[in-house]
Amino acid sequence: MVARVWSLMRFLIKGSVAGGAVYLVYDQELLGPSDKSQAALQKAGEVVPPAMYQFSQYVCQQTGLQIPQLPAPPKIDFPIRDSWNAGIMTVMSALSVAPSKAREYSKEGWEYVKARTK
Amino acid sequence: MSESELGRKWDRCLADAVVKIGTGFGLGIVFSLTFFKRRMWPLAFGSGMGLGMAYSNCQHDFQAPYLLHGKYVKEQEQ
Repeated sequence: MVARVWSLMRFLIKGSVAGGAVYLVYDQELLGPSDKSQAALQKAGEVVPPAMYQFSQYVCQQTGLQIPQLPAPPKIDFPIRDSWNAGIMTVMSALSVAPSKAREYSKEGWEYVKARTK
Repeated sequence: MSESELGRKWDRCLADAVVKIGTGFGLGIVFSLTFFKRRMWPLAFGSGMGLGMAYSNCQHDFQAPYLLHGKYVKEQEQ
């Protein structure tokens, strides 16, 4: 009797945990359109770091441990996206003019060799 | 489609893929621990479903260039 009640309780607890997870996903519309997912990711990016910081402060207060302050990450002012796009465009334009340039250079080279051998 | 709009679509696709794969993985972990005796297949199944949903969303987004995407603006309390 006790074992049956205990197995029923376990099933109910597991079911409620799984059901809660599914409801959370449904409520936050994480598996919905891409706009909602992007908004959820943005919200998580705003909420999670302060929450982690507060939790670490709480743990430090309760346990008396001192977490050393990490140095701030270096700020890189290099515009990676712009230089990547510029690089791609340069490579693609070079590839597009490559056949005509090769023809021009080979013609010039041929003219030069012809002039030298006369 | 302008280049900035294309870049925004790619950003949206990547964010969507990260969220969906993570959600599928998380649900897979929950179901693996609660009902499926810590097997690995719910994790793979959930991640795969998330990846497929993200791919489908991206495909619709790129193939329907005339749909407008709005932003949610919080109402200001007066």
